[in-house]
Amino acid sequence: MEMKEYINGYIDERIQGDGGEVGFVSLEGNTLTLLFRGECSKCGILDRCCDWIKERIEKDLGIAVEIVPVRKRPYFQDK
Amino acid sequence: MAHIKVTRRGMSPEEWLELRFIRLKRHVYSDKAEIDTFRIKDARQVSEMEYEFYDGGEFRPLRRGDIYFTPDGTAFIEADFEVPERFRGRDYCFTLQTAAEMTVKVNGIYAGGIDPNRDRINLSDYVKDSSLHFEITGYNRSKPDDERNPEVLAVRGCRQIFEGGYLAIVNSAVQSLVYDIELLRDIAVSGKFGEDVARFYLDELNNALNLIDFDFFCDEDVLAASDYIEKHIYSDKTYRGSGRVELVAHSHLDIAYYWRRIHSVQKNMRTVLIQLRLMDKYPDFRYAHTQAYTYETLEKYYPVIFEELKRRVAEGRFEPAGAMYVEPDCNIPCSESLIRQCLYGKMYFREKFGVDVDNCWLPDVFGNSWILPQILKKCGVDYFVSNKMSTWNDTNRFPHNNFIWRGIDGSEVYACVPPTHFISWNLPSQILENYEAFQEKNSGSDTMQMFGYGDGGSGCTEEMIELMHRFGKLSVMPETKHTSGRDFLHDNLSPDKKLEVWDDELYLEMHRGTFTTKAKLKDYNRRSEFLLREAEIISCLKLKDGIPYPAEEIRALYKKLMINQFHDILPGSHITPVYRDAVKDFEEITLGAKAHAKGEKYFNSLNFKRNSFSFIECEGPDIRHGKKGRFVLSGIPALSSRELPPAQGDGGWFEFKDGIARTPLYTAEFSPDGGILSLKEGGREWVKGEFNRLRIFYDMPGNYDAWDIPANYKEREIAVKTVSPLEFVYADGESAALTATLATGKSTWKRIIRFFRNSRGIEVENIVDWQEDHKLAKVFFGCNILSRKILCDTSAGFIERETHKNTSREKAKFEFCIHKWCDMSETGGGIAIINENKYGAGAENNEISLSLLRSPVRPDPSSDRGNHDFCYMIYPHTGNAVEAKINETALEYNIPLTRADADYDGADFYPLILQAMKLSEDGKRIIYRLSEQNGERGEIKLNKKLKIMNMLEEELYETDTIEYSPFEIITAGEEI
Repeated sequence: MEMKEYINGYIDERIQGDGGEVGFVSLEGNTLTLLFRGECSKCGILDRCCDWIKERIEKDLGIAVEIVPVRKRPYFQDK
Repeated sequence: MAHIKVTRRGMSPEEWLELRFIRLKRHVYSDKAEIDTFRIKDARQVSEMEYEFYDGGEFRPLRRGDIYFTPDGTAFIEADFEVPERFRGRDYCFTLQTAAEMTVKVNGIYAGGIDPNRDRINLSDYVKDSSLHFEITGYNRSKPDDERNPEVLAVRGCRQIFEGGYLAIVNSAVQSLVYDIELLRDIAVSGKFGEDVARFYLDELNNALNLIDFDFFCDEDVLAASDYIEKHIYSDKTYRGSGRVELVAHSHLDIAYYWRRIHSVQKNMRTVLIQLRLMDKYPDFRYAHTQAYTYETLEKYYPVIFEELKRRVAEGRFEPAGAMYVEPDCNIPCSESLIRQCLYGKMYFREKFGVDVDNCWLPDVFGNSWILPQILKKCGVDYFVSNKMSTWNDTNRFPHNNFIWRGIDGSEVYACVPPTHFISWNLPSQILENYEAFQEKNSGSDTMQMFGYGDGGSGCTEEMIELMHRFGKLSVMPETKHTSGRDFLHDNLSPDKKLEVWDDELYLEMHRGTFTTKAKLKDYNRRSEFLLREAEIISCLKLKDGIPYPAEEIRALYKKLMINQFHDILPGSHITPVYRDAVKDFEEITLGAKAHAKGEKYFNSLNFKRNSFSFIECEGPDIRHGKKGRFVLSGIPALSSRELPPAQGDGGWFEFKDGIARTPLYTAEFSPDGGILSLKEGGREWVKGEFNRLRIFYDMPGNYDAWDIPANYKEREIAVKTVSPLEFVYADGESAALTATLATGKSTWKRIIRFFRNSRGIEVENIVDWQEDHKLAKVFFGCNILSRKILCDTSAGFIERETHKNTSREKAKFEFCIHKWCDMSETGGGIAIINENKYGAGAENNEISLSLLRSPVRPDPSSDRGNHDFCYMIYPHTGNAVEAKINETALEYNIPLTRADADYDGADFYPLILQAMKLSEDGKRIIYRLSEQNGERGEIKLNKKLKIMNMLEEELYETDTIEYSPFEIITAGEEI
């Protein structure tokens, strides 16, 4: 499975369950940039979630990545 | 002389109190034994009781400091542990601090629930063995902001750090003192009780805590402090409160919101379990739990807990509250849907518990339609409880708490809208605030305070009950009484109380966006309601042919509809997965309902002759909702099936040239974007101002994005450009179409405008690729009409609303809920706007607006983005809305012809509208639900006697003459 499909499908479906949303932005080398929206965009422990995504990618796709999270907060939380 | 502001740098008395309170709480457990054998496996819930496990579902060790839980995850945790020798024979508990919600089974017994608001379970009361086997199921989702614990709030998220689980011995003296200080501290620091009172409590709490040496902590000091409090605070009656507040324990459970419906099965189970365990410990504790649906899931999936619940119901301590099947939105569902909520809710409670629930309990619903009192009354529900009008109105204070609510037809129910929020936790300041805000102090009735955590369920805590038990010691508070919901309502809303009447809808001055958010769900809802109506009618008519009525199947489909009318599903205030679940359910309802419509002919399910056009799918010149077909004036009689006349004539009746359309009725001048500059009927001009003008506004209400439309939304709008100006498409013997395409920077909007040879209606189909963020799309109709009122369909009659903005109440009603139509008329004529799936509208002076689409980002970041295809109809008419039969035209517009060979030869109930024809729940009768929707009274002579029934299908009397009054809903039954 392609990384974009994996992130936008498998991972996002799980993130959505907690009111968040994650989208694939880019994969350059082993640097995976992800866009986090919804509840994720203001999460105080997003790093733990990124670690989990990294673990799943390694287990399911056999690829080791470093994740760069980009948060897109809604305007009313963009303080 | 310059004023130097004094800045406190030392610790304030309040801070010193807080500090010592925190230190005291560290001693609540006198002994702890860490369970070091935890193991965990992670999963994701995929249905009510099914889970997909990660990594083969293997357990791995779980140690303190490990990260646990996964996004949208359910964790299964086990441990085996020997009770330490020093614990045996003593009372001990299991304690675990977590941001998740956990159900704990020990040695196969449901011991209790743990979550951010309760970190321990009394274990030795339930488990006598010394070898303990723990089975813990945890779900890491609570409502975003219902945790009281600020430490937990700060680290809320999908992945948590395991803080360890322990067996512990509670130091009961310390725990009791903690509860005392929790209670008294609130009086001292909340600022609600007055300066002198606060000073007294602060000083005396300081004196009490001075007796404890925190460096050499000992029980003797704790007892001395407790004794001091007893003698110097509880016994002091210097300060006296007044009034009385009745306390009702409950837990509001959203069956879907920031979690899917499948998760609410466990949330409900855990909530019930927690309250049952509290009942074990506190013999006086009584608790109210709503939604028959949640009891059904408990019965089905957790029968052991359900049996325990049944025993407590029989004792009168666990109270089934709220007659409805779920807590539905009460603006958007039609009257038949609301009737079924009560019918199936009450049936369930009667059947399972022998309990007749006579109240409707809807604390969190976003306003309530004027049709509700009649429905409640005729379902044997005399009491109505809501809350949001008191606590969420953004402009005007709702003027009542205990009152009589009079409905559209004059029916009255008692109503209670408590002055403070339905989630409270029994702090004295909350009780005082409730009483001070209570508006019927002189009525002879008490005020109600609901307590218990909710939205995500979980309910009451030990702390809330302990605080409540101490209220009687405090002279400074209002008097309190813990009671049941039923007892409160019966005791306080009664004929001997001086209660005023509210004769109007219960409009919530907030959450106005929910009439429009998630447009597709609104469409599914409207269609499903009418499809189910039709399925029942056809199934009744098929009985004559010996085809059994599919009662179980239809009931299951109706229940699925009712579940999706829940007040956080249908309004659109939910996360993305909830939307997917709802769409799946609605697709199943659609397929299931349509399966009953089979035949060669076309069936008119209305109980009056079709006088307006219908669109039928065939090889025709038009495409409507993506389907090829044609419009036809069928003339099919009431409840009959016929073949349709062939297409005839040509488009010679229609002309479009230089932006002007001419029909036998109208001369319409258009702007290139499809706006109507002039609409003349003979010499009568219908247009004044912008008419059929699409406008898209910035829609940025803040945190409650899916819920609200800001009052000042008209201040900013975006440009909508015309990409393809209005042009002619086709004309045949019945209809003609023009089309224009508009666009913003992100979205495209195609408009198809249709005229009809034999109808006054002008239809506008909108095919939209909607990719906006934070926008509200509305269409405006500036009418050449002088009226201060707009009539709005409620599905069971119409409500008149003001179009002027004289007072703050009218100003606050800038967006309101309509059903199939709204109408503005003056003497001689008016304009109706008829829709097939919209519920939000506005009216100011001569201008009507229909809300079409929104695009919020919270809770669902992708809400409403995508393709939409919907129609509305502009309907100028002579006379007023009743004379012009707007309601019947709107019914025809919303209920298309269907392929079915069925005919009805029974009683003619016209001019009452046949809302439903169904088999009675006991299978013995055909039930006719008849609705007077024009505000008229009269009588219908029948050719035989029928039973008149209530809405629970219980016989009232027999008659051959139906007398009806304005907006009355009548249920009649005919023996099969």
